[in-house]
Amino acid sequence: MSTITLYSVSYDLASVLLGALGSILPGGARAAITSADVVTGLSVLIFGVILLAASMLNTILLIWWERKLLGRFMDRRGAMHVGYAGLLQNFADGFKLFRKDTVRPREADPLGFLTGPTAYMVTSMVIFGILPISTGWNSGALPLSLLLALAIFSFAPLFIFVSAWSSNNKYSLMGGMRSAAQMIAYEVPLLLAVVAVVIVSGSFSLTTIVTEQQNYWYWGPLVLALIVFVAAMLAEMERIPFDLPEAEAELVEGWNTEYGGMLFAFFMLADYLRALVGSILVVLLFLGGWTMPSWVPSAATSFPLAGIVWFMIKTYLVFGVFVWIRASLPRVRTDQLLRVGWNRMIPLSLLAVFLAAALVIVKCLPVFGCLPSVGG
Amino acid sequence: MSEMWINMGPQHPMTHGLWNLRVLIDGEMIVDVDPEMGYLHRGIEKISEDRHYNEVITLMDRCCYVAGFAWEHLYIIASEEALHLEPPERAQYLRVLCDEFQRIASHLMWYAAFVQDLGLMSPFLYGMRDRDLVLDLFQSYTGARMTYEYMRVGGVRSDLPPGFTDHARKVLDWLTDRFVEYDQLCLGSDIFRKRCDDLGTLKATDCVTHGVTGPMLRSAGQKRDLRKDRPYAVYDQLEFDVALADSADVTGRYLVRMEEMRQSVRLLRQVLDWLDRHPGPVLADRLPRWLGAPYAPVGKEGYLLKRNYPKGVGFSAVEEPHGEAQAYVVNEGGEHPYRVKFRSPVFANISAARQYLVGYHVADIPPIMGSVDVCVGEVDR
Repeated sequence: MSTITLYSVSYDLASVLLGALGSILPGGARAAITSADVVTGLSVLIFGVILLAASMLNTILLIWWERKLLGRFMDRRGAMHVGYAGLLQNFADGFKLFRKDTVRPREADPLGFLTGPTAYMVTSMVIFGILPISTGWNSGALPLSLLLALAIFSFAPLFIFVSAWSSNNKYSLMGGMRSAAQMIAYEVPLLLAVVAVVIVSGSFSLTTIVTEQQNYWYWGPLVLALIVFVAAMLAEMERIPFDLPEAEAELVEGWNTEYGGMLFAFFMLADYLRALVGSILVVLLFLGGWTMPSWVPSAATSFPLAGIVWFMIKTYLVFGVFVWIRASLPRVRTDQLLRVGWNRMIPLSLLAVFLAAALVIVKCLPVFGCLPSVGG
Repeated sequence: MSEMWINMGPQHPMTHGLWNLRVLIDGEMIVDVDPEMGYLHRGIEKISEDRHYNEVITLMDRCCYVAGFAWEHLYIIASEEALHLEPPERAQYLRVLCDEFQRIASHLMWYAAFVQDLGLMSPFLYGMRDRDLVLDLFQSYTGARMTYEYMRVGGVRSDLPPGFTDHARKVLDWLTDRFVEYDQLCLGSDIFRKRCDDLGTLKATDCVTHGVTGPMLRSAGQKRDLRKDRPYAVYDQLEFDVALADSADVTGRYLVRMEEMRQSVRLLRQVLDWLDRHPGPVLADRLPRWLGAPYAPVGKEGYLLKRNYPKGVGFSAVEEPHGEAQAYVVNEGGEHPYRVKFRSPVFANISAARQYLVGYHVADIPPIMGSVDVCVGEVDR
């Protein structure tokens, strides 16, 4: 593993920038500007900017990845014309939305209508400050980072409901209601599935959970928890087959019917930010994060930033599975969704928790380390 | 939540056209519905009275934009009866060819729209992709993909281009394989069965009461198909089975339409074989002169012909992809039909909406209305 970390990169950048600035300034100002405090402060700022840029860039790349993949599933090519293989298509789309006027219905409540999407996107973005990407590529090893990430993740229904209600539109309201019901129902199995991981790893820290998976990835012993987690995550991300809140066939666009322009772009972006967070969480909790199994040749895992590369590959593959599901399944109905959520998912996730506890008690976890599994 | 009316339409993804379904909902349940049609009324029946017989065909294509041939055929049979004309046999076979390919194209369009309503994304594009192959065939012998203007009173406009039948057989082979794939994507999916089984049930007696025809009636187990019961063109010389299901629900309608496409393939193979073996004229040779030209020659001769031509009325009933369409044409001895009247099957099918929508969920409206296969062009005319 290389020793480059996110903080070292931003610190180096800050010192280079300030050094260059200081070299053209007189002595007193130079000393003030290149002092350790200023460099640290600026490096923290750069740190945040890198995180923001990386998360936005990845989100936009994720949309491209979904469009291309979905296109292939549908026997077409997806975006082709802007940039190489349509890579810049989403930037063009975003720019178009950015230039559009923000239209607010006269009957809509301005405060909720405007703050809803903004808060939805901001809360989705904050999670990226918590998720570790590779060793050293995180904002400090928070002992409860998993809990914090999931807590922020579950803010969404509130803001969706606020923006749906303040739109003052019947379709929006129904979409918001469905969204709130769905997210609350699936929050429970999602958290219970995470509990299984926490029991096995013995930690709430995402970094520790990943390092615990050095020997065997958790998808093997915790396959039930993985299934529950992915299904609940699909519901949380509001993707087909659980995209009822914006079921366009009956609810036009669901809770974002009245939104256009940049506010709609906020919703769109936040949806994909959450999809990215969901995929990253699957990778972190079940697929070993940035670690690779020992049978992978060390040349493939020891080049600089290898952890990030493998992490990203895994994340995009996991998202590819989500896209695959979207391409091949119809949408379920609200009552069916809730019945599955409460009657099936919660017992299953409880079973997963019990299985995880049993594995720990019987101490048969290392067995999975010996099996020739992918995570071996 | 107390009850409230919502307007699904005239601009709504569910409608697939320009009509309005007013729905009284209580939470997620449908309490009452009230279909409103008329947004797409163009007065085709009235305009027809001011057109020459062959010019009306242009309007027929616009009557139902996904089943133009079926409506051309409907009008042509009625006006030929009114004008006492007999088309050559090859033209009859060509019309059946058009009809059955149109049925496949229309059902593929229905399939695409229906699965899209259920949230199935890929099959939507598969359906549209395969429909394009049929449209390519139409283009090769009519020059148009949607508004063909191919049939003529007393025959059809032109014969098939060389090599058409082989190309058509290839398309049929391709489609036969795809039908298996469609079934796997829909019937093989548990979610699809959970969504569609016992949904939008309309029993055979209710169908008859409300004049509901076509795949909806056959999905209720009623064996009624005008191609068998009241054969027109050359359907009595061709072998095919009536597609039937007995569940009377959305799945039943799906099964019936899928089977109808298979039967259409079967019919088309026979028609293509016949066309290969029997070359001949495609337009009757003894046509009144004013019928041959799109515009009547100005002057005395045209007037005389108009006066001397025998009067008559024509009625036709055609098994259109959506149901039973009927036409009534009155010839009072002029260049134009005196009166033209159509019966749209979809109008009756939508009008019965209260029977098959009330009591289900709001989320069920798109699949149920999708299974009805709405074509607003022919509803409003």
